[in-house]
Amino acid sequence: MNWAEEIVKTLKDWNTSMIVYVPDISIHQVTSLIDADPYFTLVSATREEEAIGIAVGSYAVGRNAAVFMQSSGFGNSVNALASLCIPARTPIPMFINMRGGPGEFNIAQVAMGRAVIPIMDQLGLPHFVLEDDGKMDRLLNGAMKLCHANRQPLAICLTQMLHGGKIA
Amino acid sequence: MRRFEGTQLVSRLAGDAPIVSNLGPTSDELWHAGHRDRNFYTYGNMGLCSSIALGMAMSSDQPVISLDGDGSMLMNLGTVASIGREKPKNLTVIVWDNEKWGQTGGQTSHTGMGTDLEQVAQSCGITHTKTVTDLEDLEAAVSEALASSEGPHFIVAKIEEAGYLSVAPVEPEFTLYRFRNTFVEPRQPGD
Repeated sequence: MNWAEEIVKTLKDWNTSMIVYVPDISIHQVTSLIDADPYFTLVSATREEEAIGIAVGSYAVGRNAAVFMQSSGFGNSVNALASLCIPARTPIPMFINMRGGPGEFNIAQVAMGRAVIPIMDQLGLPHFVLEDDGKMDRLLNGAMKLCHANRQPLAICLTQMLHGGKIA
Repeated sequence: MRRFEGTQLVSRLAGDAPIVSNLGPTSDELWHAGHRDRNFYTYGNMGLCSSIALGMAMSSDQPVISLDGDGSMLMNLGTVASIGREKPKNLTVIVWDNEKWGQTGGQTSHTGMGTDLEQVAQSCGITHTKTVTDLEDLEAAVSEALASSEGPHFIVAKIEEAGYLSVAPVEPEFTLYRFRNTFVEPRQPGD
């Protein structure tokens, strides 16, 4: 099972069938599997804060949701996390394609990519970085368990070293 | 038409339908119209009211009502496109349009300078749209939307800004889980 299949399996194990995303070429490896699987509803949002809102709405009526985005778009989602998810204690796992790491070719991606984890720390939200697919099943399951126990958003950061995407 | 009068009307027509309310006076007035456990009051996340309602509508078979505002909707017009793309049959969006940012000093909003949110909705593929200016037309539009199985419905309700009611005594976490517990069994200790 590759990293993308591991994520799909984990989402199913945690009854997370509403997936909201802003398209990204690297996470397309996962979202294309989700799109092809009738277990899931995949919703394309126009912007990351909108994706968070849709996911919270789904959770509010009893259906678990997750969000996929790129690190640049994480910047667009911060107020939704700070003023909706955190005060309402909403467990939304976020799968974030991390730009700005080794091999990055676009200067415009570096600052926001490097700011994701400090911002998560400032918000007091947990985060995990996946550099390779070793022990990935345990980490993903543990992250989902923590997300629901803590009833707060949580970031699972998918690096270029993991998915091999967009390294020049 | 005043927003509170419209809110009282929508609350009366809604039955058990979930209602998501925009931040500030819209949420306060929904509470003053009569608290229901299926009222989802928001007090932050400006712009996300109808996005939250879209998520609810796509994950529930119940009619869902969004009470949005012109300024908030302008902040997140993309979600109108998402509603038009997904076309949830059970979603009704009502935009209280006072053509201003009432909470920040009454500055003229884009709808006061020509932006027509009903036309925006139509151009996003939402076919059941109306603009109403009085309570009688609002009642007809909301009743038709809630009786219909062919949403989404998008209603722009032009309102005059009036005085504000007191801030409702609600709290986000309690609001969410009280609301959610009407759909699922409550979480138990250790869950």
